[in-house]
Amino acid sequence: MNSDAQQDFALAFLSILFEGAPFILLGTLISGFIDIYLPPGTMDRFLPKNRTLAVMVSGLLGAVFPVCECAVVPVIRRLVGKGLPVSCALTYMLAAPIVNPITALSTWKAFQGQAPWMMTGGRMLLGYLVAVGVGLVVARVPIRAILRKSLVDKMEKEPVVEKSSHDHSCGHDHDHAHDHSHHHDDEPDDSRLIAAMRSAQKDFVDVGVYFTIGVAITALFNTGIAPGTQWLDGLAGNTLVAPAALMALAFILSLCSTSDAFIAATLAKFTWGAKLAFLVLGPMLDVKLIFLYQTVLRKKFIVALSVSLFVVIWLASIAAQAWLVPTI
Amino acid sequence: MVGSDYMKPEIRRILFSLAVLLWAVCLLYFYGSGRIVKYLAPDFRPIALCGGMGLAVLGSFNLLTFRRVASCGHDHEEEHDHEGGDMNPFASLLLMVAPVGLSMAWTTDSFSQSTLARKGLYDDGPSAAENTFISSVLPPLTMEEIEKSHRKTSDGFLKFDLMELFFATGDREMQDLLSGLKIETEGRIVPEKVNNPNGTRMRLYRMFMTCCVADSRAIPITLEFGGEPPLLPENGWVNVAGTMSFPEENGIIRAVLVVERATAAEVPAEEKFLRR
Repeated sequence: MNSDAQQDFALAFLSILFEGAPFILLGTLISGFIDIYLPPGTMDRFLPKNRTLAVMVSGLLGAVFPVCECAVVPVIRRLVGKGLPVSCALTYMLAAPIVNPITALSTWKAFQGQAPWMMTGGRMLLGYLVAVGVGLVVARVPIRAILRKSLVDKMEKEPVVEKSSHDHSCGHDHDHAHDHSHHHDDEPDDSRLIAAMRSAQKDFVDVGVYFTIGVAITALFNTGIAPGTQWLDGLAGNTLVAPAALMALAFILSLCSTSDAFIAATLAKFTWGAKLAFLVLGPMLDVKLIFLYQTVLRKKFIVALSVSLFVVIWLASIAAQAWLVPTI
Repeated sequence: MVGSDYMKPEIRRILFSLAVLLWAVCLLYFYGSGRIVKYLAPDFRPIALCGGMGLAVLGSFNLLTFRRVASCGHDHEEEHDHEGGDMNPFASLLLMVAPVGLSMAWTTDSFSQSTLARKGLYDDGPSAAENTFISSVLPPLTMEEIEKSHRKTSDGFLKFDLMELFFATGDREMQDLLSGLKIETEGRIVPEKVNNPNGTRMRLYRMFMTCCVADSRAIPITLEFGGEPPLLPENGWVNVAGTMSFPEENGIIRAVLVVERATAAEVPAEEKFLRR
């Protein structure tokens, strides 16, 4: 890298980092405190008994329990283990990183001057619809075809223990499966505060590492340093190929949903629909998520889910580009 | 947990705190030194300050309490961990610190000419076809309105933003009004690399930023000196005055200012055009 390339990279890198870092901090502070202070069974109480309605409500739970995609996988792993319907858990897993106030705020902020309400609304809506669609399909698939064998075996061994006794020391009544083995009365407040801050810091570092890598790659493309920049630019105006190219980029970059909008907003040459595809697919499917999903889901199901998400979001973004963009 | 389960939690906490504190120092330094104005649009600057302070609190808190035993209050009989990460903490620290440290050392707070070219420095202005919708919904513009909304210098030039002159290439009504008008404007001056057969031209530009400098783009016009251009610092700020014209060259309408005077100028407080 010559000195010109170094100064270009540094300027673009730092500017995107300065823009996104506060939003990552906000997201990880919230997830850290949720991690420590929110009992794992709390979410079950929000779900209706009707399966379709439960899936639809699950797609909105991110508005109440905002977590990014890195944090959500361990959460749903725990929730599925405790009896939350798989269809609801997967819907929440796919929707929560998108349909949540932090992501909405960061998307709106990042797209100032580029139809921010349209992009924020489009992202929330498409993310929600795709997640609910997956949930409704998954509700009709045998659980053994979805979850890892070890997880299913664990659930089959321990259902009675999980679903029977609700007479616990917290003193409140529950009429459904409820994981509730926390014992907050025993712990001093500052002990839990320290645990929450540590959890938030751990989340920040986990996300910060991927964000740094993503910002570095983006800065290289943004300033024309990276090989293939011209080739990528050449695809930017192509209505059909541009969304697929940015979806591939989102998959590789593995950005956090709380900050990926700041990257997408800098891809000035790409179509609105391509940026929408980037922002919807990224939180649902990327390199790191593929690894995280393997802690919960069967490999065959991950492949089917990945292909389905790619195709559906690609088609939806092309349709959005065709129908919505002329109205902006 | 894969990469960090062999490491003492205290060491991991210190490493993570250092990574967070470095980011905090970086954000707070750029804000405190005023250099943040070169990187972020105004409404993002206080957010960056809050982010820097928040990171400082988070990192300091965890560093000061790294030895304290803390419990989340959950049942730990099953697999359960709030602090372990996917990656070796040393690798995490390196990945978070190295690119930031290198960038702080490398940055000159500005783009090179090649990146400016990539960001539109030598692109044509908007065509009339692109602005048809805007022109059709705006009321007709008059010379009286232009004179009312632009200050006149003591030597009779109307002060214009470069942005107005740039976008006039896509607005025939503006072209008619501005053609032949005595105009003064300011921006950075660089050599003209397109359509300059006699070497009598330079280019004047200013960056337009919506959120951060990575999404900025150049807003340029052409300066015609009619002879050898004066020696002015390349990429330095200049104040130029002359007569505006919109000649069609190679089928493209260009904004060309025929310069009568050009002098080096002070760097403005806000160098970039900002979204309003």
